[in-house]
Amino acid sequence: MIEWSEQHKQIRSMVRRFVETEIVPQIDELEHGDTPPYEVLRKMLKTFGIGEMAKGKFLADLERTKKGEVREKKEREGFHAASADAMAMQLIPIIELCRHSPGMVTALGVSIGLTAGAIQRKGTLAQQEEFVPPLLTLEKVGAWAITEPGSGSDAFGSMKASARRDGDDYILNGSKTFITNGPYADTIVFICRLEGAPGPDGELPIVSFILDRGTPGLEQSKPLRKMGMHSSPTGQLFLDDVRVPKSRLLGESEEGGARKSAKDTFGSERTGVAAMSLGIIERCLELCKEYSKTRVQFGKAIGEFQLIQLKLAKMEVARMNVQNLVFRQIELAGYGKHMDLAEASAAKLYCAQSAMEVCLEAVQLFGGNGYMAEYRVEQLCRDAKVLQIYGGTDEIQISQIARSMLRDV
Amino acid sequence: MKILVPIKRVADPDNANKVKVSGDGTQVTSEGLEWKMNPFDEWSLEAALRLTEDGAKKTRTGEVVLVTIGPKDAAQTVRTGLSMGAERGILVEANDQELDSNMVAQILKAIVDKEKPDLVVMGKQTVDGDSNVAGTVLAELLGWPLANYAMSLATDDDGKTLTVKRELDTGVSTIKVTGPAVITTSDRILKPESVKNGVTPADFKYPEAEGGRYASLKGIMAAKKKPIDEVTAASLGATPQKTLSYLKFELPAARSGQTTFVESVEELVQKLKSDAKVL
Ligand SMILES: Cc1cc2nc3c(=O)[nH]c(=O)nc-3n(C[C@H](O)[C@H](O)[C@H](O)COP(=O)(O)OP(=O)(O)OC[C@H]3O[C@@H](n4cnc5c(N)ncnc54)[C@H](O)[C@@H]3O)c2cc1C
Repeated sequence: MIEWSEQHKQIRSMVRRFVETEIVPQIDELEHGDTPPYEVLRKMLKTFGIGEMAKGKFLADLERTKKGEVREKKEREGFHAASADAMAMQLIPIIELCRHSPGMVTALGVSIGLTAGAIQRKGTLAQQEEFVPPLLTLEKVGAWAITEPGSGSDAFGSMKASARRDGDDYILNGSKTFITNGPYADTIVFICRLEGAPGPDGELPIVSFILDRGTPGLEQSKPLRKMGMHSSPTGQLFLDDVRVPKSRLLGESEEGGARKSAKDTFGSERTGVAAMSLGIIERCLELCKEYSKTRVQFGKAIGEFQLIQLKLAKMEVARMNVQNLVFRQIELAGYGKHMDLAEASAAKLYCAQSAMEVCLEAVQLFGGNGYMAEYRVEQLCRDAKVLQIYGGTDEIQISQIARSMLRDV
Repeated sequence: MKILVPIKRVADPDNANKVKVSGDGTQVTSEGLEWKMNPFDEWSLEAALRLTEDGAKKTRTGEVVLVTIGPKDAAQTVRTGLSMGAERGILVEANDQELDSNMVAQILKAIVDKEKPDLVVMGKQTVDGDSNVAGTVLAELLGWPLANYAMSLATDDDGKTLTVKRELDTGVSTIKVTGPAVITTSDRILKPESVKNGVTPADFKYPEAEGGRYASLKGIMAAKKKPIDEVTAASLGATPQKTLSYLKFELPAARSGQTTFVESVEELVQKLKSDAKVL
């Protein structure tokens, strides 16, 4: 893929129009106030038929699995434009939302990508049927909880949250933090250790449970105050002897496959970052070009100063590279492939750092105005920082890339 | 019901590249422009779609045929209309620079003769030429009734007669036209309850919007497979004659962008007279 197709551009202009008429006018309430993002996101999914389409496809696949038809997952021969377009259709709304509100993408991505994704990958048919469809349309808000006050990058190693068998039920305890959608979630995937006998690796198995809002013993905190991504509520979860039946154990299996599933989830989280970064970079660049032409100092438009030109040129280079990574994702999808973990890590690392650099330079280019909320670049700058932290920090991506390279030697 | 909706692409004012005039002032140049559907046409398309669907059930009950007259890549604008819900499209190949409203009306007449629609619903004008002529001339050529500047449309029980409210400077005029007819629309046609077709429940409200409907992703995908016939005026048997010649184009003078602060109403009036020369 070397450029967006006419069809892609059409989707882009439709989504852009929606964002500019439905989100931009209330951006201050969403980014600085207490308006949760779900209403407008629901409207967006409905307007473009995104939720219904995803739900329809999911239910059709489920029906096929029930009938015992095996879903063919093998790599297909050659390039299939429809698969590439399906990927583009996922990424274009991410890019467009991120031009103004990366937090919206975080809230949406965690609900649909992580939460519904985890249940779809690991859940029993009954669990998939019950929990996935309302998450895909955002009728229900989802959260995916692994991080704890004492365990972040080392998510499994220091995990304290636990499940204990009690007859046919399980009793869950622990606390989770930095959980996107935590304050408002209706459906929560809670990841913990199963007490009892260690697995073959000598560790207690990692398992996941599906929890409903309002389950006795489950407390969902108010949104935490944070640096950016204000349109994405982040909170803590506290579980105090929460009793759940076995039907809430994801996959209804104590095998401990949750570790692999959580890793897959990390992978899918990483791929979204390229598109997010592209939206942020595109918008910064657009604002900066305009400002460079109109802001006059020393009798000249500041765009005539070479130091400003350097900033613009570097931003453009970042935009090209990040766009190419997005194109690669789309092209790979056309071949029925996706980036492996090392490549996804490399892409996430590069895109997150590029977005951050571009945003910082954008604030600088705008001078004092850059520091003022009115000019918007400061918001994107605060938002972009988290791309280097969540979904695995830069440092973790680096070690993953290095590890995979050294293994191959 | 079968409705023909003529649409034209115009320069997208939101794009950084603006319309330019050639050095000798003989023509408007279109290099590097991004295009969008003329907003008046988009509203007409919205009205036509509402007339031919069950808005509540979101099912189509009639046919909307789009026609554009322009270069080959204007097909993209037709594709946009198809993704909003129209059934098929026609592209009459022509060079924008060599058309005038009269020729457009003559070509449209040839299309109407072939397609035999129940209605032609079109924009009252384009935002580039601003002539406000094509619809009126087309009705005259066809000998059909004309309802200009429609702000609401309602079909009568016979399905052929339409009650049309027309938005005029002096107020609202309500008329009845019996199809086939030509209708041009105003932006009020986008109001939630402006179109009644006897199929969509009478109490159904469309969402408040400033433009035509958003194409859904499904609609955009489906549009790829909908047919766009490419024809020429000659193949339609039309020999449109140009009656208008352009003498010269020039861009409006750049605004000075100067702000003057005044102390009193008297001074304001004085400045409006002496400096701005608007009083
Ligand atoms: C806005 C936001 C939303 C989030 N949403 C969710 C969510 O929905 N669900 C969820 O479960 N979690 C979520 N998180 C948590 C996020 O995944 C973690 O913050 C992240 O994985 C880092 O963990 P930590 O904060 O504990 O940092 P730590 O792991 O304590 O890291 C501290 C520092 O040490 C470095 N470091 C750690 N280990 C190594 C090492 N081996 N080598 C080199 N350097 C190292 C890190 O890179 C970092 O610089 C969210 C976080 C934020 C900020």
